Amino acid sequence: MTPPLLEVKGLSKHFSQRRGLLRMLSGTAAGTIPAVDDVSFTLAENETLGLVGESGCGKTTTGKAILKLMPVTAGVIRYRDRDITPLSPAEFQPLRREIQMIFQDLDAALNPKMRIESILHEAIALREPELDADDLRRRAYDLLELVNLKKNKLANFPAELSGGEKRRIGIARVLAVRPKLIVADEPTSALDVSIQAQVINLLRDLQDQFGLSYLFISHDLPLVELVSHRVAVMYLGQIVELGPAPRIAHAPRHPYTSVLWSSLAEKRSQEAVSVTAPTWGVFDFERPSAGCRFAPRCPVYAARGKPPECTDPCNAPRLREIEPGHVVACHFPREP
Amino acid sequence: MSTIPLLRIEDLRTYFFSRAKQAFIRSVDGVDLEIARGETLGIVGESGSGKSVSMHSALGLVTATPGVISGRAVFHDEAPRDLLAGLDACTRLERRDGRIMSVEKDNRAWQKQVERNLAGVRGGKIAMIFQNPKAAMNPYETIGAQISEAVRLHTAIKDPVAARERALHWLEAVRIDSPRLRYDNYPHGLSGGMCQRAMVAMALAAEPRLLVADEPTTGLDATIQARIVELLEELKTRFGMTLVLISHDIGVIARLSDRIAVMYGGQVQESGPAAMLLEQSELGHPYTHALLASMPRAKNVKHGGRLPAIEGEVLDTINVPRGCRFRERCQRIHDGIRARCAGQEPELVEVTPGRRVRCWLYQA
Repeated sequence: MTPPLLEVKGLSKHFSQRRGLLRMLSGTAAGTIPAVDDVSFTLAENETLGLVGESGCGKTTTGKAILKLMPVTAGVIRYRDRDITPLSPAEFQPLRREIQMIFQDLDAALNPKMRIESILHEAIALREPELDADDLRRRAYDLLELVNLKKNKLANFPAELSGGEKRRIGIARVLAVRPKLIVADEPTSALDVSIQAQVINLLRDLQDQFGLSYLFISHDLPLVELVSHRVAVMYLGQIVELGPAPRIAHAPRHPYTSVLWSSLAEKRSQEAVSVTAPTWGVFDFERPSAGCRFAPRCPVYAARGKPPECTDPCNAPRLREIEPGHVVACHFPREP
Repeated sequence: MSTIPLLRIEDLRTYFFSRAKQAFIRSVDGVDLEIARGETLGIVGESGSGKSVSMHSALGLVTATPGVISGRAVFHDEAPRDLLAGLDACTRLERRDGRIMSVEKDNRAWQKQVERNLAGVRGGKIAMIFQNPKAAMNPYETIGAQISEAVRLHTAIKDPVAARERALHWLEAVRIDSPRLRYDNYPHGLSGGMCQRAMVAMALAAEPRLLVADEPTTGLDATIQARIVELLEELKTRFGMTLVLISHDIGVIARLSDRIAVMYGGQVQESGPAAMLLEQSELGHPYTHALLASMPRAKNVKHGGRLPAIEGEVLDTINVPRGCRFRERCQRIHDGIRARCAGQEPELVEVTPGRRVRCWLYQA
């Protein structure tokens, strides 16, 4: 069997909090925040893996760790069967072109003082420094055509473009280095509905054309269901369920996945409302609840009369396969 | 009782003046809306469609300096009252083809007139909740103090102790747990969803006739969004609140609205009963239909996993084209009406009882 394009094993990223004078006086210890805690998944060539969860669940941190934009606390990231975690920036440089990221913030991702032309030329020259001016221009035209933009946009500054156009330029720049793996962090969250569909179609076409793999990070469940082959659901730094997109969407086994789906506004079902009814306490990241992290908000935990194994610190639920290719971390997964 | 709408907006135009381009940005360009007592009107549209600006204009929240606001916004509580009355006297407009070409304006008189028009209405009879609750609330005061201030300003309760009790009642009504503890919290000490609830409580504290909710769920997590939607739904059933809900999220609009107005390019393109618009979108405006079809939902996916996107870009409200504003992106335009779509702007006309559409397809 060929190894997956990307394999993430036991990835953890803990942020430490600065210990200030006030904290010292009040006697609270300097805490660490386990933004990502023991996350494992694989991504095959030409595959899209969706990563969903609420804000603060660690999805973006996971994406950034894969690009080595920040050092990780623990874990192994294998790209084409090669461990990239210990690589120095210089050693990682050739791989950086193959692993690219589309950032959530349209405006922060493009230099406001550069014309679109220079932004694209810079990216192309990274990969192909030998090109002369004519070739550069030709490649830039090709890139614009790939993302369905007119040539006359080249002379513009980013501020003169609409949201959808900026997103396309962001995608064109990523394509300039001919990547294999793209981490797309909320690529459409800043766009209007009608423009969002255009960008989703574009990403899909590019995947077919170049055999790209996407790690698609989003909080928009129906969108993730549409674009992904497989979906991983994250809750407070951990993957709680991972499986084929249709199964995650229509036959979720983890209570949190069900709660997420039932919170879609257009779902009117009374059952959905009653499932989400238990008190929605604020989670304290510094002191995760013992055992299952979702237990304090979990409808199943409440309905079953708070079984002790859910909060047993020695028996936190681990991901286990309940169907081929479908794993869930719960002591009481829903029956299919 | 009466069939007089609580708020009727007529031919509202809000133009901002862009100094850089030396031209008007026609954010709202001839909007007519009616809100009946007890109903929820959902205004849906993409960014820049004018949905927020039209309600903000009616409530004097945009000064549009050096632009202009014209039209009527009649709020009919006990007696009719035009919230935009007298503003014309402060400006000199030059019109051509029904459009405003240039403006001269006395800003001080304008501002005074706005204050006069809205005294006792804004914040009292018409309350508003905003997209970003933390920015809308005073960071230097506890939420309790802000809510009891609203009680004392806008209701008959003037006694501080009684106002505090009333504020606690509203905190409880919006389902904030342990309201007595939360009363002394500052806005930054609350989570986003909790803060949104506090703002709803503050709006309710004035016991308004009309509540305007501007993107109340945007920027909140999915599970928290669901909570806020449930809360608004409860306000409707429990207090019979008249609600104007502004959102780009069709899911939220569909869940709460009795009637829907779809905006595009500063105009209402279609309005009518919610179920009719959503379930028979093919009988309405092509924009509504295309918008619903482009939502990332499994039922919308065509072969090859593609979504039926609306090609093109959202309308540029500076260089508004002649004719229909949606025509360049319209998929249902055909040779029979093409000339008319390009030549003249269609009117908003009733196509079936209660449903009005601005499209030449329905105007033979």
